[in-house]
Amino acid sequence: MSLLAELTTLTAHHRARCVAYDRILSALGAGSSFDTVADLPWLPVRLFKTHELKSIADDEVFKVLTSSGTTGAPSRIFLDRDAAAAQTKHLAATLQTVLGPRRLPMLMVDTIGVIKDRRTFSARGAGVLGMANFGRKHVYVLDEHDVPDVEAVRGLLARHGGEPFLIFGFTFMVWTYLYRLAREHGFDLSNGILLHSGGWKKLADQAVDNATFRRAFAEETGLRRIHNYYGMVEQIGTVFVEGAAGDGLYCPDFADVIIRDPVTWAEQPVGVPGVIEVVSTLPRSYPGHVLLTEDLGVCHGIDDGERPGKRFSVLGRLPKAEVRGCSDTFGARAA
Amino acid sequence: MKQLFPSAAGFEVAPLLDEVRTAPPLEVGDERIVEFLGRFARALLAPAIARAHPELASLGFFLRRGEIRRALDRLTGDELRLPRGLVFHVPPANVDTIFVYSWALSALAGNRNIVRLSSRSAGAADAVLDAMRAALSDEVVARSQRIITYDRDDSVTAALSAAADLRVLWGGDASVRSLRRFELAPHARDLTFPDRSSFAIISAEGWARATEDERRAAAEGFRNDVFWFDQAACASPRGVYWVGGSFAGEFRALLAEVARGDVPEPAMAVQKRVGVYGAAADGRVTRVAFDSAAVTTVEAPDVIRDWLGAGVLTHSTVRSLDELVPKVVRRDQTITHFGFSRAELTDFARKLSGVDRLVPFGSALKFAPVWDGYDLLTEFTRMVTVTVRTR
Repeated sequence: MSLLAELTTLTAHHRARCVAYDRILSALGAGSSFDTVADLPWLPVRLFKTHELKSIADDEVFKVLTSSGTTGAPSRIFLDRDAAAAQTKHLAATLQTVLGPRRLPMLMVDTIGVIKDRRTFSARGAGVLGMANFGRKHVYVLDEHDVPDVEAVRGLLARHGGEPFLIFGFTFMVWTYLYRLAREHGFDLSNGILLHSGGWKKLADQAVDNATFRRAFAEETGLRRIHNYYGMVEQIGTVFVEGAAGDGLYCPDFADVIIRDPVTWAEQPVGVPGVIEVVSTLPRSYPGHVLLTEDLGVCHGIDDGERPGKRFSVLGRLPKAEVRGCSDTFGARAA
Repeated sequence: MKQLFPSAAGFEVAPLLDEVRTAPPLEVGDERIVEFLGRFARALLAPAIARAHPELASLGFFLRRGEIRRALDRLTGDELRLPRGLVFHVPPANVDTIFVYSWALSALAGNRNIVRLSSRSAGAADAVLDAMRAALSDEVVARSQRIITYDRDDSVTAALSAAADLRVLWGGDASVRSLRRFELAPHARDLTFPDRSSFAIISAEGWARATEDERRAAAEGFRNDVFWFDQAACASPRGVYWVGGSFAGEFRALLAEVARGDVPEPAMAVQKRVGVYGAAADGRVTRVAFDSAAVTTVEAPDVIRDWLGAGVLTHSTVRSLDELVPKVVRRDQTITHFGFSRAELTDFARKLSGVDRLVPFGSALKFAPVWDGYDLLTEFTRMVTVTVRTR
């Protein structure tokens, strides 16, 4: 089945099972057939913070995921057993395209405290734990006091540095800790495969963008297999992974992105920035298969890169809406 | 902790209170304050400010000498009017200008005032403060009138509350509740402005009678009512009730045309979708139409009082004003109206359990000395009666 056909079926599936979703689509006057993926009705991702949206019965809920938002209510994403299994399977399949089929020795660019201390168990911790499944013999770059553990890193490189190994971390942590540490100690990371995510905002004041990041790692540490990725809890299991050449994020074959004009909401042409909509056939237990994010992005090309489909970049978050009402309820209601 | 007026400087709460309390006294309608407000009004009406912040022009008009005199004339009566003393104002975090109305009327009443501005205030508030500082020439004004800002600090709020003879709390239910925790002196009281909401009514008969020019002018006035303050002010209409029939189609087309320039920022455009889709998910909306980038129309049996985003309007229909009476709640503040006679409106208003003002289209955000049902100058003064034995 084509992506469009699957998504159309999924739209009907959610309309039949989620009353709130059906009410929204009815109010919009949405039909039941669509000419293109861009014609599918989308939900703003923040709706998962303000509303409980699920297409399964209460007693089928197996897992409730929450987002890491720093303000306001978190998103709540409801998975049944099948959805939980499907997301793990699809995430693995997507990552294997860059990691290969074997589980590799893994360097975690985070503090071991992030998974040890259950009281502060956070979305960051969940991200680290989730990713840990894709490697083995994990070594953490920071000890529980957030101090770089040079000997641990040196040890991993001595044992496994001559074969492919996996490096994982949030973009900001990777730059702040691993890059500096590797440069300072002359570590050779040339057999590493780096997966990183989290955005460039925290690095903007250091004038570090993706190109600088890739060049600096290649020149100073030999690390060239670098893959940024983009994903969100509201579409758990779907990640958009950067190609080896660093020419943009690619869509898995069960997903797509649409870059939208924030005034007309029409699809933007290649090269024109807009708001990112993420599309995936994975969400079956909640109506999250077509979501408008609050991120800005740009599509660089279609079917012109190392893998088929669109390649795109994330440009950052939409600036927050500043509202000047007399009753100061905006902060309480919005994210 | 920063003082913003009369001069930008740091402050400590105890010395600040001492200075304000020992300032020379002012009278009700004190000429020095009238003078100051007049100069301030002229600064606000300067073309550069009016262009950058059109909403400040109405503030400028409000503070002109003639308007101020009219407000003072309302105080005539047999009783003596004296200032209440020290008034502590806490304006809403996000409305740049409302603090000026509250403060100016209190100053006109001869009070010593301390206004706490939110540290989140910006934009128009800066322009207002610049204009105030530029208008300053009298030492008494500088001593007795202070505008300050501080991040959450319970000890400062407690000290200012304890010293106040009257505390003025804006900013909705949540702020009123959280500030009420700070005790006032036994004789003092609060003047509170909790969450309110507003809507518009259009007489189908009146609309049919109106000329094309009148209809367009109505749409333009309504556009200002809606889009100033991103439709988030208490007095901003959240929806329209058509009374005795509907010309919603024509009105929506006109509104979309006059609001061509009100294209929202991307984040606001997303917020509107979140608001409207959420209301639909709750089953409060039967149909949504995106008339233009600026205007979103929601068909709903009743006005949705929650703020859904700038430029989101419900359209509902009732047969008569009487049918609307039971739909009005205490929380309702302003009804903006078109096409009704004064007699119809007066008769309607008498039957309502809420609503403090009924104003024509285009005047929703025009501040008046009577606000939320309070005559502010009366609230800001203390009445003294002098009785002698008659022989």
